[in-house]
Amino acid sequence: MSQFDRTLEFMDQLQHANTAAAVCEKLLGVTSSFGLTALMAGTVPQPGTPRGQQKDHVLLCDWPGEWLERYVARNYVDHDPVVSHMKQLQAPFQWREASQGIRIDKSSGEVMGDASEFKLRDGMAFPLVTLDGQIVMVSLGGEAVELSEAEFGQVSLVSTYAIGRAMQLHTMAEKTIDHIELTPRERECLQWAAVGKSEWEISQILGISEHTSEKHLLNAKGKLGAVNRVQAVAEAIRRGYIS
Amino acid sequence: MLFSLTTQELMERPDLWEAVHRLRYKIFVEEMGWSDLQRPDGLEIDQFDHDEAVHQIVIRNGELAGYQRMLPTTRPHLLTEVLADLFEGTPPCGPNVWELTRYAVAPGFRDGKRGVSTVGTELIAGFVEWGLSRNVNQVIIEFEPMWVLRALQLHFLAKPLGYQRTYGNQQVVATLLTFNEHTLQVVRSRRNYSASVLAKGYPDRLGLRRAS
Repeated sequence: MSQFDRTLEFMDQLQHANTAAAVCEKLLGVTSSFGLTALMAGTVPQPGTPRGQQKDHVLLCDWPGEWLERYVARNYVDHDPVVSHMKQLQAPFQWREASQGIRIDKSSGEVMGDASEFKLRDGMAFPLVTLDGQIVMVSLGGEAVELSEAEFGQVSLVSTYAIGRAMQLHTMAEKTIDHIELTPRERECLQWAAVGKSEWEISQILGISEHTSEKHLLNAKGKLGAVNRVQAVAEAIRRGYIS
Repeated sequence: MLFSLTTQELMERPDLWEAVHRLRYKIFVEEMGWSDLQRPDGLEIDQFDHDEAVHQIVIRNGELAGYQRMLPTTRPHLLTEVLADLFEGTPPCGPNVWELTRYAVAPGFRDGKRGVSTVGTELIAGFVEWGLSRNVNQVIIEFEPMWVLRALQLHFLAKPLGYQRTYGNQQVVATLLTFNEHTLQVVRSRRNYSASVLAKGYPDRLGLRRAS
């Protein structure tokens, strides 16, 4: 089987992974042949984000458990040279470049030193940008990392597929909160309200009672989260329910 | 609104035709540095602007805001002719597979700092709608690997067609995206806009702002 066929097979398996843990396991199965045995991916918290909230930013994680605890407890994210390098560079790089390139303050040295204690001596990291412009940082590490440039590209591509799968699972869990279902009548009433018709006029046009047209508009207003009829009309137009 | 025009229809509208090729020049030659396409007249035109190409155009306030070109894979296209090192094996082709090329958002319409602008997502919603209405369910795109994540976020089924390569300072990977009604729903809900974006007919003459 060629290298490329193996990649395709991996992507097929990913599509069937239904939990973040299964995605992690599949991905590390591929990357461990390059010495990358641990993985962390998530959106980057703003400096100073409370420790309790830092874990909410994690999308995929298979880091040594104790290391993760220490990382959060000591607030390493604000001092990690890999994190700051990635924020600046916005391109893939190897960990060792990050610790060389940056004037190491005392705490950055400590982060890298501590990492090697957990058999994370080197690794690679790269940023991804989501649809809405959020940065996802992906970091893979291990004890002895050996990657050619082509393999580097390959690992970042399969990781991107894995993160994408993790994000799909994430949104499926949240369900679509933003979808609003308007009835055809509510839509019609809004459409007429949009051209300035009063409740009485709408009731005459649609052959319903004034009370009913008022009710439809109230329901629509509620569903659209609007405070008055003008906002309801504007919101319905913005979302494309009426024109 | 997104208009989908054949090359013939585009040529019948000299204002649009020129705006399209000028925007392509600005973005692909001047911004991305594809110097093979340099021309003194500042218009970017290639051999694939043939009579079966489909030009999709987003107009905002009487201006050309976004563009992409769809090419049938039943005849020679970019992947088979120009970017042949981007695929392994046999590339997919058939009446249901088109190639999306020259995806471009005009500089004044890139509202998101890093994210995809509303013109950008309108182009995406547009090709999905266009495809579903004519039994096209797959597109080949040669894009930066970063876009794989966005495609998956929009619930496209994505599959690489070959290894990623470096062209100049750009990474490119040829990818096959498969879509269905569900994809369209996800794209629409991400845009907070559930109506069709595909317009019938022709846009007004450029520069004319429609009173709204």
